[in-house]
Amino acid sequence: MSLVLSKLDKTYKRFGRPPVRAVCGLDLEVRQGEAVALLGSSGCGKTSTLRMIAGFESLSGGAITLAGRRIDPLPPARRGVAMAFEGYALYPPLTVAENIGFALHTTRAERRKASERVRAVAEMLDIGAILHRRPASLSGGQQQRASLARALVRDADLHLLDEPMSQLEPQLRAVLRGRVKAYLGERGFTTVFVTHDQTEAHALADRIAVMEAGVLEQFGSPDELRDRPKNLFVATFFGEPPMNALVGRVKEGAMEIEGGDGRRFSIALPAAATAPEGARLVLGVRPQRIRLGAGALSGTVLSNQWLGDQAHVALACGALRIVAVSLARVAAPSGTALPFAIAPEDMHLFDPESGTALSHRGSCP
Amino acid sequence: MSGLEISDIRARFGHAEVLRGIDCRVAAGETVVLFGPSGAGKTTLLRAIAGVEPAASGVVRIDGREVQDLEPEHRPLGMAFQNFSLYPHLSAYENIASPLRARRLRSQEIEVRVRRVAELLRIGHVLGHIPRELSNGQKQRTALARALVAEPPVLLLDDPLRNVDAKLRYEMRLELPPLLRKTGAAVIFVTQDFREAMALADRVVVLREGAVLQDAPAEEVYEAPASVPVAQLFGDPPMNLLSAHLVPEGNRVRAEAAGMAPSFADLDITHLERPFLGVRPEDVLLASRPAGGAHAEILAVTPLHDRCVLLLRAADGTELVASVTGAAPEPGTFVSIAGARHAVLFDPVNGHRLAISGARTEVAA
Repeated sequence: MSLVLSKLDKTYKRFGRPPVRAVCGLDLEVRQGEAVALLGSSGCGKTSTLRMIAGFESLSGGAITLAGRRIDPLPPARRGVAMAFEGYALYPPLTVAENIGFALHTTRAERRKASERVRAVAEMLDIGAILHRRPASLSGGQQQRASLARALVRDADLHLLDEPMSQLEPQLRAVLRGRVKAYLGERGFTTVFVTHDQTEAHALADRIAVMEAGVLEQFGSPDELRDRPKNLFVATFFGEPPMNALVGRVKEGAMEIEGGDGRRFSIALPAAATAPEGARLVLGVRPQRIRLGAGALSGTVLSNQWLGDQAHVALACGALRIVAVSLARVAAPSGTALPFAIAPEDMHLFDPESGTALSHRGSCP
Repeated sequence: MSGLEISDIRARFGHAEVLRGIDCRVAAGETVVLFGPSGAGKTTLLRAIAGVEPAASGVVRIDGREVQDLEPEHRPLGMAFQNFSLYPHLSAYENIASPLRARRLRSQEIEVRVRRVAELLRIGHVLGHIPRELSNGQKQRTALARALVAEPPVLLLDDPLRNVDAKLRYEMRLELPPLLRKTGAAVIFVTQDFREAMALADRVVVLREGAVLQDAPAEEVYEAPASVPVAQLFGDPPMNLLSAHLVPEGNRVRAEAAGMAPSFADLDITHLERPFLGVRPEDVLLASRPAGGAHAEILAVTPLHDRCVLLLRAADGTELVASVTGAAPEPGTFVSIAGARHAVLFDPVNGHRLAISGARTEVAA
């Protein structure tokens, strides 16, 4: 293990008001050479966690170990960490090249090598042509890329990146994400970054830590989060559009879903799912897994939106709404009836009270 | 014509021309999405239509009547903004009622209309709360309700979904089109998100540097961008733009780049050198085995739900992005580029679209 967070706690005391627990007993182990995303909505504790690792924030409890040594009592500069933080400003009097190379303390002999590295990282991030300029003359996106370059040019035990691509020009994002991911892999960097953007987490991270209200909800690869979400929160938070969640009761090997207006419909459960007769459950199914065009179920098309490379179809089944995604266009205008099916191997079952996952595709979590 | 018609809208801040003569028509019941990067002039245009932009000039007609000389409060339109702009000291009810109070409606009539629009937007249960007590989603619905309540013939919605969480934004994307259609208003909806544009728009107007680059149905903007800047702005990941080599072939012309060679008809190439070949990532056709064809190295694999975005380096050194479904290939391996399903050719000098090749995806279901 490279970075180990154990029982990490952060409580903010507020004058005259109850304290806020931003991070609660967080345990996380990051492997050498791994890229990990801390993903969550604002206020989930992801940024507090990153700031504690960097040393910008004291710990209320717990410990942080990096490459075998305890770093949380050390000042930021002695932790062996390279970072790009939002608002961690570039030095205004220095050029972009000087900013990027600033932390590369080098002897005269190494100076040529250092400037080659600065150039290579700058070219990867498409700022090779503005190395001589000063920060004030750059756009927000260019400043963010310069700040990212300053972190990535360094060799360090750990790289910390705070929303590394949030300001980036949209037309550059896909290519730069690809290049940065390849670069992190080639250099074997251990990286922790914070983001609220699923696309960015997906693209850059080997594993994603989903946080909510200071608690780690799940830590796993993008595939694990998609196929084996630990609970209903992760299931409906991760994925776009969100997972369909239908409440029903187990009846004779099937889920009987209440359609809301007295209507009921029945969906066969996976044979291996051990759900007791009469149990109330939540059936989850990803929009990408709803099979449109044939099947025992039927809904009325509420909307059918073609988004360039995929169709999003919303169906009404009684008072329920089910969203399906198809990679091909769907020839079903609003108001028409469209048959669909949910296959047993695409079902996720959850406990309606605790939200805990009971089974995925017929097997236990 | 009923609806909104604007012509030759101009605005100048000092020496900067922020709107350079905008013409646009929005029919009653139609939703036009105003799409563009930040600084394009989108908000200034809405402000000009609303009459709150002193620097603007031009003609604004609502239902055939010229309103540009009317004070803002006398223009029959409703507005909602990304920062909600609710009165902080008034309840949600009073916020929504404010345009009706300004028109001195009887309080009985006001109550009926506020309740009706609140039901439609599912905020009936929080009407007594002040903005501070509302979630971001409820604030956004309150602002929307206030814009809708007076049933104005024109609605101006300035990126109203920007500050709400992903789940709600997604829900509103499904709910808004039928809701807006029901109001029968001419709607201008501002966004920087191309999927939101495709989901909501009857027509998309692409704005950049104060000028309209394209005004067409959303699918047309996606499949046949009018120019290189539109191709770069509309889509994520954006369209690949590759410098192509032209090869005449009977009365057609092949445009070769990165192993693709789509053919175009009716193209005068006498003065044309190295045009840009535009291919959407999902239209890059790959063959799994590098057999014949053009080899490309997979530099990085960035997964996204059921798709994978690949950063490729073609044999000629060009970088391009391909989006594929199914199992993720390994970075560092090779694929062959088999062709392009759909491609657009652009003039290298002025950036204008020259020709289109190929067909788009088939219709399923």
